[in-house]
Parts: sequence; structure tokens; C-alpha cells
Amino acid sequence: MDIALAAEGTYPHQFGGVSVWCDQLVRGLRDYDFELVALTATGGEPVRWTLPPNVTRLTEIPLWGPTPPAAPGSWWLRPRSGPPVAELIDLLLSPPDEGQQRFADVLRGLLSYARVGNLSAELASEESVWLLSEAWRRRWPDPDLAPPTLHDATVAIHLLEHALRPLCYPAPRADVVHSVTNGIGVLPALAAKWSYGTPIVVTEHGLYMREHYLHSRHAPYRWPVKQFHLQFLRRLCMLGYSEAAIITPGNVFNKRWESRLGADLGKVRTVYNGVDPNDFPAFDSEPEVPTISWAGRVDPVKDLETLLRAFALVRAEMPEARLRLFGAPPQGREAYLDRCQALAEELGLGESASFEGRVAEIRDAYSAGQVVVLCSITEGFPYTLIEAMTCGRPCVATDVGGVSEAAGDTGLVVPPRDPGQLAAACLTLLRDSELRQRLGAAARNRALEYFTVDRAISAFDEIYMFLGTGRPLPMPRPGPDQIDADPMDASPAPPRLSVVRDGGSGLDGGSGLEETG
Amino acid sequence: MSAGVTYSDEQARALGLRSSDSSGEGLARLRDIIGSATAPPMTVAALCEEYGEVCESAVDPLEIASALEFEGLGDQAVRERYGYSDVFALADEMYVQVPRQPAEPTPPEDPWHIGRFQPVLHGLLYGLPAVCFPAAAVLLGGPGAHAILIVALLASWSASQSLASLGYQRLGRTGDRGQAQRVLRAGLLAGLVLVTGILAIAMLVLHARPPVALFGAGEAAYMLGACVLLVLGAERWLLLVLLPGVLGSSLFLALGRPRQLDHASWAALAATAALAVVAALVATRRRSRPQPGGGRFRLVTGTELRNMLPAAAFGLLAAGLLAFPVVSGVHGRGGINVGALLATLPLSLSMGAAEWSLLRYRRRTRDVLRSTRDLRTFGRRARLALLTALAQYLAAAIALTAAATWIAFTTGLVRPGAALIYPELVVYLALGSAMFIALALQALGVRAVPVAACAAALAFELTWRELGLIVQLAACVGLLVVLGGYALGALSTAIRHAF
Repeated sequence: MDIALAAEGTYPHQFGGVSVWCDQLVRGLRDYDFELVALTATGGEPVRWTLPPNVTRLTEIPLWGPTPPAAPGSWWLRPRSGPPVAELIDLLLSPPDEGQQRFADVLRGLLSYARVGNLSAELASEESVWLLSEAWRRRWPDPDLAPPTLHDATVAIHLLEHALRPLCYPAPRADVVHSVTNGIGVLPALAAKWSYGTPIVVTEHGLYMREHYLHSRHAPYRWPVKQFHLQFLRRLCMLGYSEAAIITPGNVFNKRWESRLGADLGKVRTVYNGVDPNDFPAFDSEPEVPTISWAGRVDPVKDLETLLRAFALVRAEMPEARLRLFGAPPQGREAYLDRCQALAEELGLGESASFEGRVAEIRDAYSAGQVVVLCSITEGFPYTLIEAMTCGRPCVATDVGGVSEAAGDTGLVVPPRDPGQLAAACLTLLRDSELRQRLGAAARNRALEYFTVDRAISAFDEIYMFLGTGRPLPMPRPGPDQIDADPMDASPAPPRLSVVRDGGSGLDGGSGLEETG
Repeated sequence: MSAGVTYSDEQARALGLRSSDSSGEGLARLRDIIGSATAPPMTVAALCEEYGEVCESAVDPLEIASALEFEGLGDQAVRERYGYSDVFALADEMYVQVPRQPAEPTPPEDPWHIGRFQPVLHGLLYGLPAVCFPAAAVLLGGPGAHAILIVALLASWSASQSLASLGYQRLGRTGDRGQAQRVLRAGLLAGLVLVTGILAIAMLVLHARPPVALFGAGEAAYMLGACVLLVLGAERWLLLVLLPGVLGSSLFLALGRPRQLDHASWAALAATAALAVVAALVATRRRSRPQPGGGRFRLVTGTELRNMLPAAAFGLLAAGLLAFPVVSGVHGRGGINVGALLATLPLSLSMGAAEWSLLRYRRRTRDVLRSTRDLRTFGRRARLALLTALAQYLAAAIALTAAATWIAFTTGLVRPGAALIYPELVVYLALGSAMFIALALQALGVRAVPVAACAAALAFELTWRELGLIVQLAACVGLLVVLGGYALGALSTAIRHAF
């Protein structure tokens, strides 16, 4: 069976969580042939992964590289009618919850035009600029609200043209097309569905739309451009959800947004990330000195500042405690590391907190601590956590994204940005070796049951099997409390989560606070 | 109700941070550092204030929701602190409470920022090497010398334009200076080998004397080295590189070309060529190890080569157009044309002015684009801006030419009354203006038309070369009219100027 796997800016050109996941999937499903459809930036990016033998083809679609090829013959035989640019502009200036069917029709119209004409040239034309600036002139709500200029119109049109470039490439031919992102990354899948009726699987690890909202805050565009482009992406994401045969988010948490963007929850099925247990055998010992370890990319979203503050509190209580931080900042963003080191100094942590840089074996980072901490302010379904759990290390983690689903009642989950709570949870564990052992063992059991690669892969094996042979997927009907418990997961849902809040009340047995008070 | 995020005295006690501790003062300080950094706003109004900028520039409530979640605010905290059912409901409320008032983005850095002296510097860099030709005149005799010089000019212009294109492409695509340095270094060496090989073959075929070929090779070395330094923004070094050659040649000319100093002046020229290569090699030496996990380094990709072709062709054609009047002779019968040779100097110098005019033009069209809402207004003002830029360039070129002519007459390089110099000057001013328009078109992404127009003009000159000056005049003026007319149309659309 042939699967087309479409990714944007990740596999096989970049490293990172999504790429690891794609690689695991392709290697795990050896009986399937994969065509990789990679949306890249300029097309000059090197392939950084060794492709498994069952990858039959790699199609690169550069969004910012050379202009895509026009349809053969289109330069001498121009299509009689142009692409529906005016309709598209009209929709993008209308309220986002109306006219979604028309948006689908317009995109189909653009795709059919790309098959006979030069879509990119028609989109990036003076006529499009004219259409947009006229539409803005007619419909702009308030003359004082960042009035759009001609420059805004040209930038918005260029952004739209680049975003729609995937439609100019031949649609992938496969039995199932699997998009590992929504948004622009779903365009090749839509092209396949509309050209050949191929069923679509949409997987989201991070949430495409949320990430783009955040990203847009730092983009250099004026408000009219930002609004126009986000409206386009929002409609596209909604279309991605509605055209998908099945939506497989990496955690239950994502469903809140998917539902908000109009996804039919009846076709949402959570498939958790997994790790290979052979890579993370259980530790049989722990460090002598009470040590907290942390591993990851040194980046503001990981909120190491809260961790350092919390550790200062821990150390005030337990002077022999140590904090070891493993990881490096991404290239060009070293300033955050400097800031953290300055804070450590300000807090007087001295030798007790050490920034140790990258480790060759990530296991060593987990084995370095009696407790592993993850204190991010935003996460999808973090590998760090399930890896540490697989090793049998007890974890303290912040309640963001899929963290509480991952940890369940085998770890301590605290609110983000709260040094006091984080410190209390760490102290609880550092002081109680019996509790550490119990939670560590429970964490390992939980990880082995729910978060293994094999489990994730067999879920997709089943999905591909059914969709590829045209059979409807067996999906239990969603219950009323789906967002919390995810009952239509084909497998039993992980146990309900318990969260340490307001002084650590979620932990059965005594809480650390009572013991210290 | 408290989510326990403020770090209260009660909690401090709970954590065992008793103020009676011997280190009580230190703990109080610690608490300050921790408490002030983490206390969240407790009312929606306070939250709206904290997220004021986000709310004012939000395009819809979901954007606010994403910002709240990104800062770690979850549904449970929202219910407990603010009494809304979830983050989305809170964001809806904040979107209503705070009116839209989007902040204007910080204006992007001026992509065309240049120092005040850069155009002058570039003009000198382009123009000064022309001094070296008369100084080396003794070297440049014998059979086939002109042909060799033409081959050298064509090959080195084409090679250096190609190299610059490859360097700029890699720099622009990856933003990785290290990669661009490796590409430029390899390209420099490959270009040197290629041009030297072509010259060696030409020398053997034309039975030319080795000094001519050596001079040609030196010219290529200078141009390729200079190109590497320009791409990497190291123009100042280039001034140093030029010093021996230009000083030596000027002195030699000023002294009236004394025979006993022949060798010294050649040595000075050779020093400049060698220095250019050395400086380029130093500028591209590897400073740091390649980034880990940077993937396989590809010296050159197919796309880069395809994009390079118009640059190579344009370099070749521009060199041909520039060289034609010099070698075709006054009456199209060969022999070095002093008037023409003289006119190349101000033309080269004026390329600095061309760069400056072009940047002013781009800045002006960008400002018009940002301040107008009407396409017709934009078109009109863009055409006006192009004509203004052309006039600016032309004024600079005429001033430079006048200065050069005056110097030529007063120093006796050209006899007064050699009236033929004036038509040559007109030819060069037209050619310079056409080159300026070609630069503008290329800068805005029109590549094929300048190449095709230059090719047609050169073909025209070559076909009717016996007619001499007339055909040059017709070709250059024709080229200017065609390119100018095309540019007035093509460069007055807004879509061309967006990025």
C-alpha cells in the first residue's frame, strides 16, 4: 500500500520532535511504501535524515524558492477564464465562520486552474493587487484603523501566492495521504483528495493555527496584512479538519482548539507519541546527592527561570541539593542562556546549579537526577517526559498541553510559572525515597502501556489499513465528556489525571507541604 | 480561590523558610526576586492591561487565547481566577473589552542602507583599474594582442559576474556567511583556472606574446578577487589591494613613461593582481567549524547554476558592449581608439553613481508604495522616480566625463581639436544610461529582457562594424530607448516592488 506523507519544514530536512516521529512511523511500517512530500523554504535545504528503504520518492515543494512550474502548454494556450482570485479575496474579508463551503469551492477552483494555467503568475499579478486594494477600500471598517496601503496589498498578495504554491505541483498519488500538520501542509493532501479521491489523515503535534497566531505577533507585517493572512490560514485549517477522514492529534489537549475551529470531534482520535523502550531501560540506581535534572532546548518557552527560582527555594530547605540542566540554546538565540545564568548567580545558586550543555546520550541526563523536571509554559506531548517515565524516573512537570495526560497520577503536575509549587513538589520527592520508587515504577508501567512507539505505529497501521481499502474506520461514538477523557480512543484511555494544585492536594498520601510545615 | 502562585509568608513558612533562620535576610531577598517575578494579575481588567498590546493588535479572539495559553494560563486557572468557563471565553471577553488599536510594526531595517562614502568608494574601485591600461601599453603589443585583451575582458567579466551571483545567492538563501565563503573560495580558484586556461589556448592559437596573456590573467585575478571582497562587504581591503597598481601606474604615466621604470610599473601591476587573490583567500579562510548537523554541504546546486546563467551572460555582453568601441577603432578598422579608451574611465567611475541612484530610486518607490492606496498614482510616481534616477545618474556621468576630458586635454593625452572624442562620449553616456536601466531591471527581478536587449545591440554592432561610430551610436541609443521604454512600463506596477 502507498502512503503519501506530507510535512512542512520538518522531515526529512530538519531535526526535532515531529521529524523523529515521522522517522519512527516510516521505519515502523516497513510493509508500506511512502512518498514523502516535504514543504521546504527555498528548496536548497539538505536532507538531514537517512531515508529508510521503503521511502520510494521524495517530492520537495519549496514555498520561497524558484517559482513553481506552470502547467505544460499554458504559456501558449491560456485558459479561457482566470483563477477565482476575486472570490478568494472576498471570502478572506468576510467573517470567518461563514462561507466555508464557498472557500472549499474556491480552493478547488484554484487547483483546477493550476492544472491548466500558471497559477503563481496569475496570483502574483497587478490585477490581484488591484482586486485586494479595491476590496479593502470598499470594506475597511474604520478609516483610522491601520488603513491598508498599496504596500500592504502587494505583501498580502505575495504571501498568499507563496502559501498556495503546493497547488502548482502534481498531487501525490497514494492510497492514503497523511499530513503531519494542518494549514499549508494540508494543501498537497487536499490536491490528492480532489484529484483522485484519496482519503486524508491529519495529524497535529503542535497546533498549527495557535502557532501561527503566536508567530504573527513578531512578524514584520502591518495589521491589514496580518489579518488577511491569518484569515486565510484559519479558513485553510478549518478546511483541513473538515476534509480529513480522520484527525489524529498527539494529545487530548489539542482537541479544544480543533473543536473550536469546527472539527467534527467524531473523527478525532488521539494517538500519543511513543518511545522505544529498548532505548530507555529502567535505571537500577539513583544519584547519592539529591539532584533535580532537566533536559531540553534552552529556550524561553521552557521557562528555566521558574525552575531556577524554585531550586533556590529547594536549596534553602535542602542545602545539599543539586540542579543539573542538560541542553543548549538554538543557534543564534544564546541570549536566554546568558539570562538564566545571570539569574542563577543573582539567586546565589553557585556550584549547586550547573548548565552542562548537550549530552550525547539523553538517558544520562535522566539518570543524573533523582527527580526529572519539565517546567515549560507550553508543550505538545513532550518526549522528555515520556522518556524519563520509561526510564522509571519520577517527574515533576507543569500543567500545560498534553503533560497531565502523559504523567497521569504517576508524576507531580504543578501550575506553570509558579516557583513555590514547583519547589514544594520537588522537595516532596527529594525527601521521600519510597515515594520516588513507587512513582518511578508506576511511571514506567504507564509509559510501557500507553506511550510506546509500537503502540503509536500500530494505531496508524490500522488507520491506513481501513482507509486505504475504503472501509470506514471503527470509531466509538463520542461521549459528552470527550475533551477530558477521550473515550473514543480505540484503546482504553489513560487513567484520569491528577494535578497538584493549591498546595499539592492532588497527591495521594501526604503532601510535601504538610511534612515541611 | 488563590491558586497559590503568589509567594506569601504563609507559603514561605510552609516551605520551611522561617524568617528566624540565620540567613533570614538572604531569604527575604530571595523572596523578593521570586515573588515579584511571578505574581499573576487577579482581575480581568488587570489581565487586559498586562496583555494590552496583544489585545489591541489581535485580529480575532483566538489570537488572544493563543497568547494566554502560551504564557501558561490554562482552563482551570481561568475558572479559578477569573470565573470564565475556559481560555476561549476569557479571550472573547478581552477582545470585546480592549478596542483594536494595532501598533505599527517596527519599520524593517533599510535594506538599501549604504554609508555616505560607499558610492564614491565603489566608483573608485570600478574606475581606478582603467589607469593600469595605458601604463601597461608597452606590454600590450604584438600579434593578436587586442584579441587576447578582448578575450580576457569578456572572460573575466563573465566569470566575476557569475561568481558574484553564486555568492549572493548562497548568502541570501542560507544567511550563512561561512557557506558563502566556501562557495566564493572554490569559485575564485575555479574561475582563475578557467580564465587562465582560456587565455593560454587563445595565446597559442593567436601566436600572441606571453606578456599580453599574463596581463590578461592578472586582470582576471584582480576582478575575481575584487568580486569576492565586494560580496563579503570588504571594500576597504580592496582599496589597499589597488594601491600598488594604481600608484605605480599613475606615477609612471606622470613621469612620461620612462623606459627604465617599465619593469617597476609592471611589478606594481602584478602586485595588485596577486594581492587581490591573497586578500580574497584570506577573507574566505575558514574561521569556524561548520554547524553540527548542518547536513551535507553542497558547493553548488542546480538552481544556483540556473540563476547564475543570466548573470554570466549579462557580464559577457556588457563587457562586449564596453570593449567594442575601444577595439573596433574610429573607423571600424581596428587599432586602439584613445578617445574611447579615455571614455571608459568616467563610465567605470560612474557605476558608483549608478548604484547610489538605484538605491535612491528603490527607497523612493518603497515610500510611495507605503503611502498611497491607488495603483494609478503609484504608476505615475514610479515612472517619475525612474526618470529622476536616470537624470541623477546621467548628471553624475556627465560631470565625471567632463572632468576626465579636461584632464585629458590639459595633460596632453589627447590633442585639442581631436573632435572625434565627442561622439565617443555620447556613445558612452548612452551606454552608461542603458546599463543603469539594466541594473534597475535586474534589481527588481527582470533578468531575461536586459540580456536579450544587450545581445541584440552587440549583434547589431558586430554585424555593421565597418560603419564604426555610427553603428555604435545607433546601438547604444537604441539599447537605451528599448530598455528605458520597457522599464517605464514594467517597473511601474506595484507587484514588482513589494519585497
